[in-house]
Amino acid sequence: MYDADPAPILQRARGRASVALSLTGGRTRLDRLHQAGSAKAFLPRVHGAAPEVVFLNTAGGLTGGDRFRFGLDVGPGAAAVATTQTAERAYASAGGVAGMEVALTVGTGGALDWLPQETILFDRSGLRRRTEIALAGDARLLWSEIVVLGRSAMGERVETLDFFDRRMVTRDGVPVMIEPLRIDGAVLARRDGAAVLGGARALATVALVAPGAEGAAGRVRDVAPGVVQAAASGWDGKCVVRALAGDAFELKRYVARVLAVLRPGPLPRVWQI
Amino acid sequence: MATGAPWGTITGIPMADAHGSDLLALTQWLSPAFPVGGYAYSHGLEQVIAAGDVTDAASLSAWLRDVLRFGAGRMDAALLAAAHRGEDAAWLTQVARSLAASKERWDETEALGRAFAEALRGATGDGPAPMPYPVAVGVAAQALSLGTGTVAEMFLHAFASNLVSCAVRFVPLGQNEGQAVLAGLHGVIVEVAAQAVALPVDEVAASVPRADLAAMAHETMETRIFRT
Repeated sequence: MYDADPAPILQRARGRASVALSLTGGRTRLDRLHQAGSAKAFLPRVHGAAPEVVFLNTAGGLTGGDRFRFGLDVGPGAAAVATTQTAERAYASAGGVAGMEVALTVGTGGALDWLPQETILFDRSGLRRRTEIALAGDARLLWSEIVVLGRSAMGERVETLDFFDRRMVTRDGVPVMIEPLRIDGAVLARRDGAAVLGGARALATVALVAPGAEGAAGRVRDVAPGVVQAAASGWDGKCVVRALAGDAFELKRYVARVLAVLRPGPLPRVWQI
Repeated sequence: MATGAPWGTITGIPMADAHGSDLLALTQWLSPAFPVGGYAYSHGLEQVIAAGDVTDAASLSAWLRDVLRFGAGRMDAALLAAAHRGEDAAWLTQVARSLAASKERWDETEALGRAFAEALRGATGDGPAPMPYPVAVGVAAQALSLGTGTVAEMFLHAFASNLVSCAVRFVPLGQNEGQAVLAGLHGVIVEVAAQAVALPVDEVAASVPRADLAAMAHETMETRIFRT
């Protein structure tokens, strides 16, 4: 809905929001909430068993020089769903890149669904995002990321970009999944390549990282891809789904169908779909 | 290998590619005759050919060029270079395993690395512990007086050569056409090796989502000859 807005002229924004949840008396409860600058976190009242944490960038987007950090600690045995209030928009940068850090931890026996809404990369935007999710023991993680090149409502074609999205999961300190996605001008110049994007302008990864997760690949393969190109693989405690599409909305709907197979209950209420 | 100590010994000779016999050793290790079994792996190219995305020399060349520059080429060369520099091999092993984009890619790098270590032990009486293939080659090549860039170039050349052989048989292409594609990739191989040598492992990136998708789709192909 904000797609048509011109990129606002923003002061360099700073924001940090962090939340800690723990299992107390058989329920996951809020331990700590810290917010500073243009980052907020809130916990809407939900009916499900696991609380929902919603992160928000009140500056309305990211531009060169911005620095944001979202943190969430899910204690041993606790369960939570976390997302973002709206799509994250990386606006054209007058200089430099925006920096974003997402640091999440899940204790033994805990579970986290990290389901941020899509990241929309405007032409001439720059974003370095580093997401590190540290699992302990047998903790379970479900993670989805959607990246969209350009504003779809405007049919924007992205020509210049500096995007590096390093996604890492560790278990007991040892890396178990790294997806270091980089899309820059050199990659965009080859976007139609069959190995690169094949002309797609939206891409998604969904990963279930949990003991026995490899077994979920078969169920995910049964999800109708529609117009989306998608494939799934299961190995070594992971089930990873990748998908590409020309249309961001169709891709998000596919991701929602995959998530419905991998988790009980409805999507976070804030998901716009 | 938890300490990152070099397997074998660095001879103390300047890394000036001075020793012709060391270049021959690396050539032997990376040749299709060395019993690593790379010919059984197509890195998803079998699926790409079946899907009609690679149909001739030009489309093969474009696909390989993108995978070298933006995918496994750059990634594996950076892992190899870090291992060759003596960075902690146990850590690099975990990173390489974590970077595998699919089950079959994971199998590919593990199986090739294991076979490489065994073959080296068979040929020379000594070899590294089993670890993902680029890490294993980087660690083993510490014993050779070759520059990191040279080792990375040779590794990438062997990778590209194997995939060209796959395409020659299954697109199919003429032998000469295939060799012309490979010759045309020499420049990009040198360029990627030079970048990878200077690339910290934390900066290693992947930019070939569609090749990764193909590697995953290969798992459910009805008829397949290659393991990836």
